[in-house]
Amino acid sequence: MSGFSSEYLNTRLSIYASRLISFEQLVNFIQYDLERIIAAVQELTGHYYQLDGAKSNLIENQLTNRAMDDFLILIRPFSGSERRFFYFAIRWFELANLKVLIRGKFSGIESLKIKQELIDLGQFADLPIKKLLETDDPYEMLRLLETTPYAGIVRQARRMYEEHGNDLFLLDATIDRSFFIDLNQRARFLRDQDAQYVSRVMGGLLDRFNLLWLLRYRFSYGLSAAKSFYLLTTTGNKLYASELMRLAKMDSIEEVIAALPDPYRDLLANIGVIANMETVMEYYSLSIAANALHRKSNLLSRSFAYIMLREAEVRFLQALIKGKQLELDPELIEQAVGASS
Amino acid sequence: MWQTPLAMEKVSLYMVDVDAQQAAMTLACLAVMHPLESKAGEQDLQDYPAAPYFTVYHDLNSRFGKIAIYLKTPFKQPATTTGIVTLDELQRLDEQLKEIWARVSELEELTRRQNEKMNVTRQLSSSLQKFAALDLDLSRLRRRGRFLRIVVGSVPSVNFDQLKRALSLTNFMINRFYSSEGIDHVVVFGSSQQQEDVHDVLDSADFRGLNVPQEFSGSPSQLRADLNREIEQENKTLDELKGALTELLSRHMPDLQNAHDLLRLAGPYASLATVLRGKGGLVFLLGWVPAQRDQEIRKKLERDLKFPFHVEFSAPEQKEYDAVPSLLKKSWLLKPFQALVRNFGIPGYREVDPSGLFALSYIFMFGMMFGDIGHGAVIVLASLLLWKRFPGVTIVGVLAGISSIFFGFVYGSLFGYEHVVQPLWMSPMHDPIKILLVAVLWGASFILIANLLAIRNYIASGLPRQALFSGKGLAGLFFYLAAFFASYQLLANNRFTWLEGLLLLLPMAVILQFQWRQSSGGLIERLLVVLIEGLEHIISNVSGTLSFLRVAAFSLNHVALAAAVFAIAGMMDAFGHGITVILGNIFIIVLEGAIVAIQCLRLEYYEGFSRFFSGKGKAFEPLKIET
Repeated sequence: MSGFSSEYLNTRLSIYASRLISFEQLVNFIQYDLERIIAAVQELTGHYYQLDGAKSNLIENQLTNRAMDDFLILIRPFSGSERRFFYFAIRWFELANLKVLIRGKFSGIESLKIKQELIDLGQFADLPIKKLLETDDPYEMLRLLETTPYAGIVRQARRMYEEHGNDLFLLDATIDRSFFIDLNQRARFLRDQDAQYVSRVMGGLLDRFNLLWLLRYRFSYGLSAAKSFYLLTTTGNKLYASELMRLAKMDSIEEVIAALPDPYRDLLANIGVIANMETVMEYYSLSIAANALHRKSNLLSRSFAYIMLREAEVRFLQALIKGKQLELDPELIEQAVGASS
Repeated sequence: MWQTPLAMEKVSLYMVDVDAQQAAMTLACLAVMHPLESKAGEQDLQDYPAAPYFTVYHDLNSRFGKIAIYLKTPFKQPATTTGIVTLDELQRLDEQLKEIWARVSELEELTRRQNEKMNVTRQLSSSLQKFAALDLDLSRLRRRGRFLRIVVGSVPSVNFDQLKRALSLTNFMINRFYSSEGIDHVVVFGSSQQQEDVHDVLDSADFRGLNVPQEFSGSPSQLRADLNREIEQENKTLDELKGALTELLSRHMPDLQNAHDLLRLAGPYASLATVLRGKGGLVFLLGWVPAQRDQEIRKKLERDLKFPFHVEFSAPEQKEYDAVPSLLKKSWLLKPFQALVRNFGIPGYREVDPSGLFALSYIFMFGMMFGDIGHGAVIVLASLLLWKRFPGVTIVGVLAGISSIFFGFVYGSLFGYEHVVQPLWMSPMHDPIKILLVAVLWGASFILIANLLAIRNYIASGLPRQALFSGKGLAGLFFYLAAFFASYQLLANNRFTWLEGLLLLLPMAVILQFQWRQSSGGLIERLLVVLIEGLEHIISNVSGTLSFLRVAAFSLNHVALAAAVFAIAGMMDAFGHGITVILGNIFIIVLEGAIVAIQCLRLEYYEGFSRFFSGKGKAFEPLKIET
């Protein structure tokens, strides 16, 4: 990348970083009504959003579309393996659609209802949504999905479905796991320095996934230590394979928490519920990303950190807006967006 | 050459809802109406009567499409080309196709699983090659030892490392002995007490075990023969599944033919789902039709509709011009050129269709850049050979070849030989400056014509101010002529007086003033925009004109390339000379011919179309019965 391009990207990233909504601000939105939330988001991000009561997912689509527009600008200066990595990282957004489709078809939900939950990703979309919605049964959909770039992920999901039936949480975890493995593999093709910086940002995310799913597999699903460990993904920043293997053999959540390396032991010390631990771990991994974004060290890791933070922001706002549209109680919304712990 | 799209009229049809399907069929048979979605009167006519029909049609069509992929025989031509398909009929058909598709999908899933199984067996069979050298009794792999359990099988390579660590938690070990095509062939061994745990992990890792039959107690080569027999059996199962699919489809062929015929007839009404509006038994349809066919439409509707109806035709208002579709006059000769114009865009309703001008100038430029009697003749002959498969290519190729032959006579060039045919004018190499001057004059004429067309298009679209004052309008035309005059005075007579200056400044001032009025924003911003656009206007005129120098450059290049071929051939003996000349000419025809074709297209698009042609028109897409 030329000096001019990297300066351009650095400036762009700094502008985008300044437009991200902080967690505290997002939590404050829970008390607002829908119009006020939209107005506040517009003011903070500079993007215009249109509310339409008749189209329930219009605003969710707009939030994603704006993010995609920004990513499109960020991706331009990259080329080669950097561009491929960036492009793959953006697929993270499409995983949400993939999950909605798989969950929907496995649960026998009508195509029209599934369609309402899907988000339009514009030119970043790889899934043939129209054809997928026209499938008549889950296996037909899986066969079609196996012709898309998500073939590997889908094969794992199929296996999980055949093994454990229609357990939506396990299906989600399987999809995430496969995605992280693929993402990590793509990171290996980056230049050494890029790979090093990116893996630091990604590490927090992987630790979060591994720890929480280790706890769930072992103590919610009662799986064996070996199987629980096997179902984890690539290792992250602090929780290496040997560490995870040691933790997998433990007999209670408390024992695992007490044996965690710092800072996870302190962060999770007094939290007994896995869902709350997830929130704490998510904010910790996002704080690593936020640090990387504000430190002008490596462009690719900054861009990746921005994708992570923007994804979390969009996800939070989508859940909040959905909650408001359904007129849910603020406490329930707090739980849904993970702001209660 | 100066054709515009056919005159259109807006048609408004009010009718009783029971006649709506017949009206759709009548209009589809005529293929004359481009349906129009309109928000006018939305509050009064809130219902979309064709919407439920469309929903069923859409499901049915998609299911039919999925089944049709598996059919090997084409459908017969339908016995009836007109008729009404009721919603009930569609629903019944949908149910029928749902059942057929469920069975097809089931067979497809079984085939997929069978293929997967066969792949595993194949991989296991190939992995046994590694055992072949060992004199090992494989039946021992089947026997559960008192303390030790050994399992042989394969696992996807990506899962191996994680599986190895996971198995170590159960005190089992895994060893890779062969790796191929993303699959690792492995031996797993460990304590007999841990079986349940291990199998669970192995299953998650997509481990496929090598099944050693009970009766088997032989060597690896014997087991391999056994696996090959298994593959044969699996192949047989696959054939049976294929046979079952073929049998299923042929049994249901009459139903599928019926679905095919009915879907064709149902298409027109279903496609009106978002257009046809109604309320309380009355429906309203809006669209665009060619003005010359309004009476024919009225007569056909009077003949076909059972109940009274009201139809109105009205010429489009100026504010509607952007929404009116463009129906271009058909011409077999211009068809391939119209396709090239469509690549750039569709002419707006009131715009000139540039296909004729495009065809003429393209052919002319091609000949000028690639003038050679022999090369032109080869292009004509080669194009004629493509007539059956690519008629469009033949038309363009033959015309371009004829133009090339014509300019070949003008330049006196035959397969690169410059002294065989007496030139009607001169060889480009004889006086390169003259040919460059001709190219510039040609370019200037081209740009002037484009400017005139832009003025005409502005007037026709009801934009008189743009026609007069904009850079592409009359002011732009005067500026261009003034610039040409001033350049001539400066270069030919070394003269640039106040007259030339005034002639340049006056139209430029008009253009800048117009741009000032068109722009918005703060003073500095407007000033910047106007100055930059003014500068851009001057640069684009200069660069546009000079761009046509390539016409001369390629005609010179053509001669130079031929000279290079002859120079190389001159170094050879008689046979080598002949071969070099032939190959050199082929090289010139293929490579230079392609480059010239692309350069001509580039000049048309960027120096011509971009000056007068918006390309923002809408294609006329009539309601019709799909074939």
